[in-house]
Amino acid sequence: MNRKLIALFFLCCISSSASAFDLDFGKIIGNIQKARLATTDFDEPKEIELGSGIASNLLGAAPLLQNRRVQAYVNRVGMWLALQTERPGLPWRFGVLDDDDVNAFAAPGGHVFVTKGLLAQMHSEAELAGVLAHEIAHVLRKHHLAAIKKGARTELLAEFAGEAMENQGENPALIKLIGAGTELYARGLDKDDEFEADRMGVVIATRAGYDPYGLPAVLQTLQGMNPQDSSLALMFKTHPALDERLGLLDRLMSGPFDSFENQPDHAPRFMTVMSGSGITTEPD
Amino acid sequence: MRWLIVFCLGWSVFAAHAGEAAYTVRATELKAKPFSDAATVASLAENSTVEVLTRQSSWMQVKSGDTTGWVKMLSLRLGDAAAPKKSGDSGLGALFNVAATGGSGSTVSTGVRGLSEEKLKNPQPDPKALEQLNGYATDEKAARRFGKSGKLSAQQLDYLPAPAK
Repeated sequence: MNRKLIALFFLCCISSSASAFDLDFGKIIGNIQKARLATTDFDEPKEIELGSGIASNLLGAAPLLQNRRVQAYVNRVGMWLALQTERPGLPWRFGVLDDDDVNAFAAPGGHVFVTKGLLAQMHSEAELAGVLAHEIAHVLRKHHLAAIKKGARTELLAEFAGEAMENQGENPALIKLIGAGTELYARGLDKDDEFEADRMGVVIATRAGYDPYGLPAVLQTLQGMNPQDSSLALMFKTHPALDERLGLLDRLMSGPFDSFENQPDHAPRFMTVMSGSGITTEPD
Repeated sequence: MRWLIVFCLGWSVFAAHAGEAAYTVRATELKAKPFSDAATVASLAENSTVEVLTRQSSWMQVKSGDTTGWVKMLSLRLGDAAAPKKSGDSGLGALFNVAATGGSGSTVSTGVRGLSEEKLKNPQPDPKALEQLNGYATDEKAARRFGKSGKLSAQQLDYLPAPAK
């Protein structure tokens, strides 16, 4: 908004002397536009708006699990994790999707999802925390935003970034970007983004007081599943090989996490919530 | 049916993966106790098969033949050592790529039920569900209470640097 005013003021000031200085208005306006395009950083409200649209699409593909207890639990774990990060004030939203696929998703602005299928593979709250922390890291590092920007025309980004919030409603630029963001879940992020989320995820979980090895434990479980299991198909397609992820964590974690080995995993609390929900069952 | 299979993978609170086979991905030491400076009970070569008993943080209690001891969990992968190059995901992952992209979701036995690439490429927003999602959110106070109730102490820890390439 300020930039538009300044631009207008500038133009008014020089308009009278335009001919004297032989100024090319087209070029000036072009340069102002370019300066704006160069900083197509989405502010937080825009980020949340875009993320909400993507989340809405994801929910259109897989419904929310209709179980208030599980949803509330996952939100408490998630929010407690988020409070240990550099963006505690984002409107963090955590959702369990009623889907047998084994997967988890993050959308810009603080939206994190985990499937029922993935929950069923977990054994403790620390494992849940590990996965949520990985997704939280994607939001913190704005991986999805970067990927969306990479694939979008600069004009589209500028249109969305520059447009006043009140006008968003049916903004075609927003709608296009939401579509691009949703499609990302079928393609996946860069390998390095996933590795970074793993590295950050174990730290965030540890900061929150959990056993640091929750995320590695989940990855190990998935790696031990039958690779033919179709519930893994999309996750395999969109993430680097589990073996590689485990190898990297192996190298990174020995040493820095030795002093956190006695942090709780809250397996009983996790089991109590899950077993009442039909997601898991008590062992014989 | 799939749930039955999943349940039968036999996880439990206190002995996740108990009884499952695992193999080492590097030469490692079987320790008497889950500490790096505990006595070494045996040396395990790369690709040795062990039976998982339980996990305790970064350690896994395993049985190697008649000997029981502890190894670092990340030195293990679950499954069969005998299986060829079980980084499994790259070989079979590629297979999935072919099948999935070639496809009409033929890898998914039940067609377009649930999350699928198709749905992600032709999405339908669900604003009602989004509203419900927002309704499940927890505030900071409740989250802190939750942390406290579990005696989860917040720790200071820097993010890990990216590994040197």
